[in-house]
Amino acid sequence: MSKKAKTITGIIIIVAFLLIGVMSFIDSKIEYVNFTEAKERMRTVEVKGHWIKDKESRFDPETNTFTFYMKDDSSNEVKVVLDGAKPNNFDVAEAVVAKGKMKDGYFHAKEVLTKCPSKYEADGKEVMQTKQN
Amino acid sequence: MFGKLLIYLFFATGLTSCIMYFLSHLGKEKFLKPARFFFHATAIAVLSTAAYFMYLILTHQFQFAYIWEQSNTELQLPLLMSTFYSGQEGSFLLWTTMTAIIGIFLLNYVSKGDRLEPQVMSIFTLILTFLGLILILKSPFLYLWEKFPGEVEAGFIPPDGRGLNPLLQNFWIVIHPPTLFLGFSSLAAPFCFAVGTLMKNRYDDWIKFSMPWLLFSAMVLGLGIMLGGYWAYGVLGWGGYWAWDPVENSSFIPWLVIVAAIHTMIAQKRTGGYKKTNIILCIFSYLLVLYSTFLTRSGILGDSSVHSFVDPGYEVYLALIVFISLFTLISIAALFYRFKELKALNSEPNKLVSRESTLFIGSITLCAAAFVILAGTSWPILQKGTIDASFYNKMNLPIAILIAIINGMSLLLKWKSNNDKMFFKKLLFPLLLAFIVTLALVYIGVQDFLIALFAMASLFAFFVNAELVISTFKKNKTAAGAYIAHIGLALIFLGIIASSKYSEEENLSLELNRPVNAFGYTLTYIGATPFEDPNNKTDTKYHFNVKIEKDNKEMVLQPVMYYSEYSKGVMKNPDIANFATKDLYLSPMGLVEPEFFSKDEMIELKKGEEKSLGDLSIQFNDFDFGDIDMGGHEIQSGNYTIGAIIKVKDSKYTETIAPKIKYTDGNPEYLTAKISGNDTYNFYFVKMQVKGEAEGGTTATFAVVNTKTSPLKNKAEETLVLTASVKPFINILWTGTVVLVIGFFISIIKRRKELK
Repeated sequence: MSKKAKTITGIIIIVAFLLIGVMSFIDSKIEYVNFTEAKERMRTVEVKGHWIKDKESRFDPETNTFTFYMKDDSSNEVKVVLDGAKPNNFDVAEAVVAKGKMKDGYFHAKEVLTKCPSKYEADGKEVMQTKQN
Repeated sequence: MFGKLLIYLFFATGLTSCIMYFLSHLGKEKFLKPARFFFHATAIAVLSTAAYFMYLILTHQFQFAYIWEQSNTELQLPLLMSTFYSGQEGSFLLWTTMTAIIGIFLLNYVSKGDRLEPQVMSIFTLILTFLGLILILKSPFLYLWEKFPGEVEAGFIPPDGRGLNPLLQNFWIVIHPPTLFLGFSSLAAPFCFAVGTLMKNRYDDWIKFSMPWLLFSAMVLGLGIMLGGYWAYGVLGWGGYWAWDPVENSSFIPWLVIVAAIHTMIAQKRTGGYKKTNIILCIFSYLLVLYSTFLTRSGILGDSSVHSFVDPGYEVYLALIVFISLFTLISIAALFYRFKELKALNSEPNKLVSRESTLFIGSITLCAAAFVILAGTSWPILQKGTIDASFYNKMNLPIAILIAIINGMSLLLKWKSNNDKMFFKKLLFPLLLAFIVTLALVYIGVQDFLIALFAMASLFAFFVNAELVISTFKKNKTAAGAYIAHIGLALIFLGIIASSKYSEEENLSLELNRPVNAFGYTLTYIGATPFEDPNNKTDTKYHFNVKIEKDNKEMVLQPVMYYSEYSKGVMKNPDIANFATKDLYLSPMGLVEPEFFSKDEMIELKKGEEKSLGDLSIQFNDFDFGDIDMGGHEIQSGNYTIGAIIKVKDSKYTETIAPKIKYTDGNPEYLTAKISGNDTYNFYFVKMQVKGEAEGGTTATFAVVNTKTSPLKNKAEETLVLTASVKPFINILWTGTVVLVIGFFISIIKRRKELK
């Protein structure tokens, strides 16, 4: 093969690869939205918000789902049904991110991440508590 | 104060050594000896810093903020030592320490013979200096009152620390981070060799003497990555060993690039080509280490990972950006400076079907994988949102198939030859064997075309390399290293196919002592037993014992759940039965407390309210607190009885009764009440719900059990809910990893021998 032919073959392969890449990239993109936007989108999205502790939350062993109510950053309240048990650190998380789809009236989450930005960061008050103990 | 002084000291000596090495690179040879002296001083200062820090940890000096945050007096020695690097400041110190240790060996290595010492070491000491700068900005030696000024009085020493995050409290933290950081640190060596060779303008011999370093990095980093995978799988209960999480990805990307570099460097050694490629790949692998550090430490990915990222503060963020930018600039500048010379380097015209060009294609493929993962991982920086893990699986499957094919095929080709009649002859046997085994796999259920192709390519690579190992091992033992590593990779591929694509999962509810069948096993939850964890005496941990039976053999698995005071939540650890052909993996989800009454049997009433239930009518009159004194002492002690007075009407009579709940240590026992003349019904008082006036006032819930239709339960049983899964042939994956590491190790010996 001549050098030119090789370069052309190379370029074709790279372009094809990039095209496939970009297409599947668009397919797998998960946007950050609020619940109102999640209703409009038919696909998997991520919604950030916090757990409404006053409202009912329970784990159903029959379906292996954890149900809770969540308020997103635009103050929409939606029932969330998570496939699986209550996530670790759920009670102390200051924010949660639910990944999933809107389904008739509730948000069906495949995964819920708990955000504890200050989890490992202490503050001075906590230090002084050690003193009292 | 002493710790901070040490950091300033090694920052200063590192910088001095760097400047002197650079001067000796410029031809002022009298600076070489003092440069070495200052490097040794730097290394000693770094090691002293680490030793001093470890001493502070071991002697529980809780006046230091880091030590107070990360450790406590409960931790046993191995975990206590791990708190050295469990937090951000400490892990930077670990990275620095590992780099300094690598530096001692590197200096010893490059000072023997003509191995670019001034060039390599001037870059290397610059790296150390920068790590020193980060430690100055993010010191692990901060006192509590410096970290929390105004909140903590100066000189205050807390009696105990906050303790180590329970997620990290297991054996793997003792070895996974040090291994990973050793791998990260060692990638500085190939980088320095590549930049050094540009500085020196000499492009031939560096690949020979840097080869053992590349192999070492690839071996250690690869091992570190897989240890992390095993940790996630075996202890954290993520269910799998790989989740395409940013932290995992960002350590995997440099590994892919350095492995690509190893292959094109071998091609350069044999053919003289790919000189530019090699320099660029070695540079990239370390820049990617820095980029990965930036991604995972800057807090920029805070919303898109299961790992917790702490924002390190503005100064460190900036220092990391300067760190990456500076070394990127140095690399680009060096490349531009030698642009003419590099352009003049003549790559030999290579034949398309030769070993060197297949190696090159293999390297490109590895880089393509690196690029795909890099793009996905970096995406959250560009736009709010993340990339689904399916993207990586979809894109990397064809890449992995190609890698497996090249893994086998390239070794059958000759160097610099386009015309090899032997090729097809050698190809035939392993290809046939792979085809037959794949047919068998398709027969037993591998139906997906791409997966079958992937399996066949991996089997082909396995057979080609197995044959080569057997034939070379007799002649020259160390020459088999590469083939052994390749076998390891083929096994890893096969293990991934089996354990992830053909993994089965089922959610099970195991009522106490009631056997349940799943995956051909009989699982019985036989109760929970508390156990003591010497590292964590604050929390009571429980083993949830599950008896596994099959073919008259039995064993007990013990997944763990406990409430963690530190995390204020329930922590869960899986347990695994490791069989030769599969793992049975039990991941606990929760424990459901017994329910005594069904929903249909219960009725909730306000005071005075009357409702009918079947042919009965029930009116709730008032609570009966009996002899409970209103000070609440009994309630606090957990031993008391409360009742509720109800008026029950059936078809004939009206009667007032008072069913009661008797609490013993807070555990309720529902006392049966009956009405005279009607034996069918049992009445129970279930609970009292205190509500405000707005909600209609306090209510009571009662249960009416029809003893004729509902079998009387004396005691309801707790139910363990868990996810059980079967991971077929996961042992092949772990075996593959070990084989890969052994292969790299033998290759290091071989390349070291060649230098002598």
